[in-house]
Amino acid sequence: MWENRCKIVVSGVGYSKVSRMADIPLAAHALEAVKGAVADSGLEMSDIDGLATYPELPATGHAEIDGISVVSVNCMMAMLKLPNLTWHIQVGTTNIGGAVQQATNALLAGVCKYAVVWRAMHNPRGTYQNLPGAQAAGATQFTAPYGFGGPGQGMAVAYTRWLEKNNQTRDKMATLAVTQRKHTQHNPHAYFHGTPLTREDYFASRMVAHPFCLFDCDIPVQGAVAIVLTTADRGRDLKPKPAYLAGYGQRLHFETAGRIGSLSSYMEGGSSSAKLTWERSGFTPKDVDVAQIYDGFSASVIYGLESYGFCKEGEALDFIQDGRIELDGDLPLNTFGGSLGTGRIHGLWHIIEGALQASGRAGSRQVKDANVSFVGASAPIVTGTTFIFVSEPY
Amino acid sequence: MAEPGRALPVPTPETKHFWEGTAAGELRLQRCDSCGKNYFPPKPFCATCGSRKVSVFKASGKAVLWSYVIHHRPVPGFKPPYAIAVVQLAEGPRMMSNIVECEQTPEALQLDMDLEVVFEKQNDTITLPVFRPAKG
Repeated sequence: MWENRCKIVVSGVGYSKVSRMADIPLAAHALEAVKGAVADSGLEMSDIDGLATYPELPATGHAEIDGISVVSVNCMMAMLKLPNLTWHIQVGTTNIGGAVQQATNALLAGVCKYAVVWRAMHNPRGTYQNLPGAQAAGATQFTAPYGFGGPGQGMAVAYTRWLEKNNQTRDKMATLAVTQRKHTQHNPHAYFHGTPLTREDYFASRMVAHPFCLFDCDIPVQGAVAIVLTTADRGRDLKPKPAYLAGYGQRLHFETAGRIGSLSSYMEGGSSSAKLTWERSGFTPKDVDVAQIYDGFSASVIYGLESYGFCKEGEALDFIQDGRIELDGDLPLNTFGGSLGTGRIHGLWHIIEGALQASGRAGSRQVKDANVSFVGASAPIVTGTTFIFVSEPY
Repeated sequence: MAEPGRALPVPTPETKHFWEGTAAGELRLQRCDSCGKNYFPPKPFCATCGSRKVSVFKASGKAVLWSYVIHHRPVPGFKPPYAIAVVQLAEGPRMMSNIVECEQTPEALQLDMDLEVVFEKQNDTITLPVFRPAKG
């Protein structure tokens, strides 16, 4: 087991308003979320001495403008003017889970005491995956000429293969979309809070990239979330009950030909990251009381459940049936609504929910006796990171 | 004004041999002379072992349909719904492409079906390799 298990905690969490389009600059959303997380911890902004983020805009063909479409560490530093800042980073791979892991490492190394991690997401005007026009340069010369524009299509290619190979149909995915939307109604910060979804809605919705219909895809939004991480001894003295980090893992698994939907890449990336997390924490999938698994596109949950070891390969769509992923089921899943419910904010919201469940702070969606809380914070390909939070050190 | 067409590749020194090949009616892949692996897309080193001893060879043009997605959103040069396919070449590597002479439906697009390459000329320099159901 990991010698540093339960030495780092998640303390406060914060949210901005989540809206469909930008009515204020993204920097303002990020600032609102960061201030919220610091206040939730009961800290002063001057206590914060570490900053980390992953600032990428996952849309194609749109400019990255700091403070408008991304919020870099530089942008946040300029806004906060932290008098005691000693450490900061923005990661280039492993998505936002990597930023949380780097902050964990910095706290363990003693180079900062209270780190804030935020994820701010922009919804650009016009087509989200805006193909590069007449010329397909670089790696896109082997994809764009065939009408390929984004990671969702790559995930759908793998999903087609998964469905066929395992003799399954997309009908069973309705359970995931409908159950997560039900969970969303317990999350007042989520974009789809107040908007229920029925099975009929799912089956009647238009196709985006077959086998994905509209409700298999998270809706692009403008918004931000943030967390405060600190050491366990400091976290115990703060306002909220802390969630203890029992272990984490990470693994990149790039396909040499790009993101063209290789099932084996999902499986190898996810299982490698999860293996480290199980070994470091000492837990197994059977010990998990509640799970958050990244769901930017619904099929990502399949790859997560299978590669992390919650069920066997080919069985995930059967695994999620019969109430298993409800709040009182055997494995309550994406209890905050997931990205399908909150809107496209990436995996920091999954990490927030994993921590809130472990510390008993999830309100009306709190899972009973949620002592071991698992998080797969990004698709288990390209950027896979996994975490386990627990309610008490062990 | 004409409707904008599909995005066309801009060859680079690393990919020039591939696009010269398709213009000449050949599907050219690369092989690592150190570890023996056939690979795609083109690069001047083997992504598996790092060797720079690599060579270009003409592939058979035979493939099977590994998987696909049927895209329903508008994209310049395409009339949705259209299939974006990933084919598994007989020589090993996978390649993204389109499937022609075939209905763009799940019923018609059978996984692992035999395919063969067809070359679609776009302009004087660019010819795209696409695939159709194998004949006979």
